[in-house]
Amino acid sequence: MKNNYSRLKWVALIIIGGILFFLSKSAHAATTTPLPLQQAIFGVVQDENGLPIPGVTVTVKNTNRGTVTNLDGEYSISAPANGTLVFSYIGYKTVEIPVDNNEEISIQLEEDISALGEVKINAGYYNTTERESTGNISRVTAKEIEQQPVVSPIQALAGRMAGVEITPNGNLPGNASTIRIRGTNSLREEGNFPLYIIDGVPINSTPLESNSNLTFGGIDPLNTLNLSNIESIEVLKDADATAIYGSRGANGVVLITTKKGKQGKTELQARVYTGASTVSNRIDLLNTEEYLQIRRRAFVNDGLEPTEDNAYDLLIWDQDRYTDWQDIFFGRTAQVTDVNLNANGGNENTAFRLSGSYHSQGTVFIGDYDYKKVTAGAHVSHTSDNNKLNLDLSLNYGVDLNNLVGYLNLTANAFTLPPNAPSLFNENNTLNWSDWAEVGLENPLSGFYNTSRTQAQNLNSNLVVSYEILKGLRLKSNFGYTNFRSDELVKRPKRSFSPATRGNIANRSNHLFIKRNSWIVEPQINYRNSIGKGEIDIILGSTFQQSERKNIALQGEGYVSESLMGNLNAAEDIIATSNSNADYRYNAIFARLGLNWDKKYYLNLTGRRDGSSRFGPGNRIANFGAIGSAWIFSEEEFIKSSIPFLSFGKLRGSYGTTGNDQIGDYGYFDAYESTLGPGGLYPNQLSNPEYSWEVNKKLEAAIELGLFEDQLNLAVSWYRNRSSSQLVGFSLPAITGFTSVQANLPATAQNTGWEVELSSYNIQKENFSWRTSLNFTIPRNELVSYPNIEESSYANTYRVGEPLNISLLYDYDGINPETGLYQFTDVNNDDALDYQDRMIAWNRGREFFGGLDNVISFKNFSLQFLWEFVKQEGMLAMFNAGSLENQRSDVYQSFDSNNRFQQISRSIEASRAYSDALNSTFPIENASFLRLKTLNLTYSIPSRFLEKIGLQTGRLFLTGQNLFTLSPYKGMDPEAPARGTSFTALRTITAGVQINL
Amino acid sequence: MTKTIYIILGLLILASISFLSCEEFLEVDAPENKIVSEAVFNSDETAASAMSGIYNELFRAAFSGGWENSVTVLSGLSSDNLKTIRENDLNLREYSENNIQPNNSRNLALWSSAYSIIYMTNSILEGLEASDNLSEGIKTSLEGEAKFVRAFTYFYLVNLYGEIPLILSTDYRENSLATRNSEEDIYQQIITDLNTSRDLLDDNYRHGDRTGVNRSCALALLARVHLYKENWEEADLASSEVISNTQQYEIISDPNQVFLANSKEAIWQITPEGRGGPLGFTNEGSIFLFLSIAPGITKVALTEELVNSFVERDQRLHDWIGFNEDTQNYFVNKYKDRRSINEILEFSMVLRLAEQYLIRSEARVMKNNFAGALADLDVLRVRAGLPILSANNEELSKEELLDTILEERRKELFTEWGHRWLDLKRTNKADYFLPPSSEDWENTDIYYPIPAQELMKNPNLTQNPGY
Repeated sequence: MKNNYSRLKWVALIIIGGILFFLSKSAHAATTTPLPLQQAIFGVVQDENGLPIPGVTVTVKNTNRGTVTNLDGEYSISAPANGTLVFSYIGYKTVEIPVDNNEEISIQLEEDISALGEVKINAGYYNTTERESTGNISRVTAKEIEQQPVVSPIQALAGRMAGVEITPNGNLPGNASTIRIRGTNSLREEGNFPLYIIDGVPINSTPLESNSNLTFGGIDPLNTLNLSNIESIEVLKDADATAIYGSRGANGVVLITTKKGKQGKTELQARVYTGASTVSNRIDLLNTEEYLQIRRRAFVNDGLEPTEDNAYDLLIWDQDRYTDWQDIFFGRTAQVTDVNLNANGGNENTAFRLSGSYHSQGTVFIGDYDYKKVTAGAHVSHTSDNNKLNLDLSLNYGVDLNNLVGYLNLTANAFTLPPNAPSLFNENNTLNWSDWAEVGLENPLSGFYNTSRTQAQNLNSNLVVSYEILKGLRLKSNFGYTNFRSDELVKRPKRSFSPATRGNIANRSNHLFIKRNSWIVEPQINYRNSIGKGEIDIILGSTFQQSERKNIALQGEGYVSESLMGNLNAAEDIIATSNSNADYRYNAIFARLGLNWDKKYYLNLTGRRDGSSRFGPGNRIANFGAIGSAWIFSEEEFIKSSIPFLSFGKLRGSYGTTGNDQIGDYGYFDAYESTLGPGGLYPNQLSNPEYSWEVNKKLEAAIELGLFEDQLNLAVSWYRNRSSSQLVGFSLPAITGFTSVQANLPATAQNTGWEVELSSYNIQKENFSWRTSLNFTIPRNELVSYPNIEESSYANTYRVGEPLNISLLYDYDGINPETGLYQFTDVNNDDALDYQDRMIAWNRGREFFGGLDNVISFKNFSLQFLWEFVKQEGMLAMFNAGSLENQRSDVYQSFDSNNRFQQISRSIEASRAYSDALNSTFPIENASFLRLKTLNLTYSIPSRFLEKIGLQTGRLFLTGQNLFTLSPYKGMDPEAPARGTSFTALRTITAGVQINL
Repeated sequence: MTKTIYIILGLLILASISFLSCEEFLEVDAPENKIVSEAVFNSDETAASAMSGIYNELFRAAFSGGWENSVTVLSGLSSDNLKTIRENDLNLREYSENNIQPNNSRNLALWSSAYSIIYMTNSILEGLEASDNLSEGIKTSLEGEAKFVRAFTYFYLVNLYGEIPLILSTDYRENSLATRNSEEDIYQQIITDLNTSRDLLDDNYRHGDRTGVNRSCALALLARVHLYKENWEEADLASSEVISNTQQYEIISDPNQVFLANSKEAIWQITPEGRGGPLGFTNEGSIFLFLSIAPGITKVALTEELVNSFVERDQRLHDWIGFNEDTQNYFVNKYKDRRSINEILEFSMVLRLAEQYLIRSEARVMKNNFAGALADLDVLRVRAGLPILSANNEELSKEELLDTILEERRKELFTEWGHRWLDLKRTNKADYFLPPSSEDWENTDIYYPIPAQELMKNPNLTQNPGY
């Protein structure tokens, strides 16, 4: 069955490839019509590699006359013999060439590295450039994303953007990473998701629920995107950029733009890479001899005789056996394969792009699990001859399949199993139950034959129609539709359980069906005009959006045989464990007024009036807005003359409000729901009809400098975001019947920080160039105010003046000389250790973080490598020497008289002291790290070889992820420093080839 | 050309319409899986479903479901009837050692689940109050049933925790800052609610099964409450009324049949149906019975001391207690079923007739009706196959009689709803009986700690002494 499935995928890919190839052959290049002669001049414009550049503007200086190059880079124009031609094209240096009676002027344009400022940036409803932007928008492009062997594009952003924090939630393919743009704004986890927009269509950024091992963190809703199909990802950060998204902009906006068809010759591109991932780190645990020594000492210290009940590791299990459980559980190598095909082309009116991809990834865990995805994408754009009508359609479809183990944590046991525990398998490869049952335990792989299979399908589509009514006045609307379905089947066969418990267990399957779909229509009017030196750009628009989400969870039980499992027909009993749906409607008016004078002074006003169905009647509508301005002072004459080495200088600032409506639907609804038992109804949430928007006020100031002809670029921004009237699940004492209720909290949380972006062209020679860029963020998070926090239910969770991301800990006070156990400061001297003694507010957040990227090119070689760095503290557990679980090898020091650990013991008091220690300052460690996040070596095959086989370009590349980490932290992975046992970053090495036809 | 103009006109109209942001667009229907509270109390069927919801949830609620965090198990451990046999479960060990930490998660579950049920009863009572569309019959029944469940829940809260907040509404704003009420206040409310129940309900079980609440439930609990409050006369009257209802209730002669679903000895039971799904056995069955093939899973067992207190010929020793050879432990064998799928043999017993005899017997002793007291005791002794006491020529003193009743209560009601623990407390005998089994016994251990999490969230709550 599985084989058929993957074979089908290959067939599909071959068909897609075939179609693309056919299209590439059948497309024609358009021809040019020569203009009437004055003095006819013709020529070809090429890039540095000798490839023609279509669309280059060729004008006769000081006249209105001009043309553009055709698909083959050719142009012809008439010009006076003593005139001058100006060749300009975005991203390339503008060149002026005197005609000098020449009939042919062919040139090569040089890429203008400093023209980055001219690159169009997607700001959502409008475009801007880095130079002219009044807001803070970070951008990564295809180059940085497409070769990374990861599933979701979010994972590819780690370390690349100032102010954007990506932390993985797990090590399984498809697990959602946590993304925080300028820190934690909301006290609710789910209130911190940014807004995702793919080609203008908002996507629900909440990770998908799962019954599988992806439950923690959930499934990333962007998994089904094809990374190779992404043109750019822009992250909008400040008020100026986000206020136009009003109620949904509080946590920043992630704009994903897929690749568009380009005018020009039809091209076919194919890329394949393959490689392998492993877990690069291990925790140094006790070996058998050390472990047993410690256990024996525990009984001596406690004055107890070991019995077969409490010391089976000493009395029953083999005293010489040793197993490296980490190797057993996650020591495998996971394969990664990625195939990508695309074709694009078009003429002056119409352009298209088609793409298809296949990606597969294994896991490092014991057992055979894998992740596969297949995507297809199409984009068509059309412009009418008179340039008035524009149509633009993009479709992206993806299917993925995630096969994992079900209901079994494959990492936890790797650290806790005593090193002399018996084997997991019998010699015939069946699970070994008897050795474990002998001591009253289940085999740690109990549940090993459980499987989970999550299949998702995702369609994102968007049509944009725009029409220019009058010069400068354009009517436009986008129509978006998204449809997401996921279908999960977790099987729990009897065979997975010990013979002892099997009798009590039925073959069970759990089914989870998730459907999310939404449509959006956004009619808009754009007006653009210039008056004298001034330019004005107006957008007025509105949004209608409706989203539906539906979850059905079913459980089938009592299958006669394992082979029938999953077919609900064959189940003896079917229970619907949950069946919920939610309807979300959203309506808004938005506007933007962009002004600039002389390309020096910029003013940008944005606003939005929003309504959301997530609030009770009367609280649904609110207004948001922002003002942003910029001054390009390097254009002022007095600056130009006094600071000649300053090639670019801009000061900008913005202030505005955004909101947050990411709160469960229907929270204002006072309602009853069905009980699990038959025929019953019960109220299962508290209702609060009064809650309303969470308001986020953002302030930003920044300076951007370009020095020495933009060889060195520096941008420094300072921001302050304040979230007030926090919308939270207000935590309640259980006497109210519930533990929380949705409400606006009279609290203000603040994120401030500095972001620095620096890039430098260190060397720029013909055959050798080296560019370095650095991003660096110092975030500060603080609960600024909370009136009467002492009387609220948060009195013992948060502290005014401290970050939100704190743990309140006991103050560790050394070893008690009498008991030999950890002791802690009894702050209120009541002889009891409780929450009133947890007075140390420990910040779990990052002190600073950033990335350092280098791109070095030498002849045909290009080397790119990104270092990610983070300064933070973490915790490290596994030091409970004496208990019936393995521990870090550090605890072996406990035999020395002077060591930092408590006396070896297995007593209840010692266990309690240990668990108190885990809630104290004792296990805090420096968890800072410097990690070689990605490394990419590319070799471009010289064209003389390629021509022979009919290829245009060809590249070979080698990519590494998480190759090397420098950290004092002794846990598995400093990226997840909670206890030391989590790990997220796999070391992956891939190699591949890319060719263009 | 005209076509273009129409297009433009059309688009302009479209644009101008859409700029009128409309609030009606934002109206959404209720999700399919919810019914607006008002609507629930608009029809007899849905209102009755809300009560069925409580009966279902009582099985899932930690304190009442009979599983690890239930009164049955935790208070059983606190008394001298149960012990833990898995040493790594610290939270359970804290109960058996009478050394509960305020942050014990089982303690929080016990407490929270009780208040969750109280919320449901308050919600129903408010819904009934506000509704005009229900028939009188269903309205009175539901009020009587909900008030009974509320009183029942408060009875355990006040006995386990002492002074506790008395929550009688669903208003979380007020309730989240509630202070503790005196035990007297709580008992007053319990008695008021039970009297109302008694007056509103009749002797029919509305659903047929004994898992609904009828008038006898209210009487039976009233009898117990009056016994605890030492109102001997009222206790005698209420229990007598139940006992005299021989039409409905009788002492089942075969101890093996007592805990079956709808057994004639049952006054009120909780159905495993509330679990949802096909599994049909009680939680007591699955927590107490050993699986011969995986004895290591079971966490609690009977103390030898309890087992030794039975004389050899006591039928209850044979029918209600088992011995597991693998682990050398005695186990509770009152419930026999831990594997039924798609059928329900047993319900979880909450109130049964035997207790009413014991209540009346004790009340009669206090009223100096010794003969009557002995007659009541003998009803149970006969079932147990023991010689009857009234035939005994030797005259027992009042103290001896009370001790006999306490002993008899232990043997009859062990591992049912914490009877032993509450008996030791109300008779002030905990200090005498418990120190032998728990080294660090302190008198303050008779109350469980208010969960630390609750103190953190509600600054108006205070901790019990000794924690």
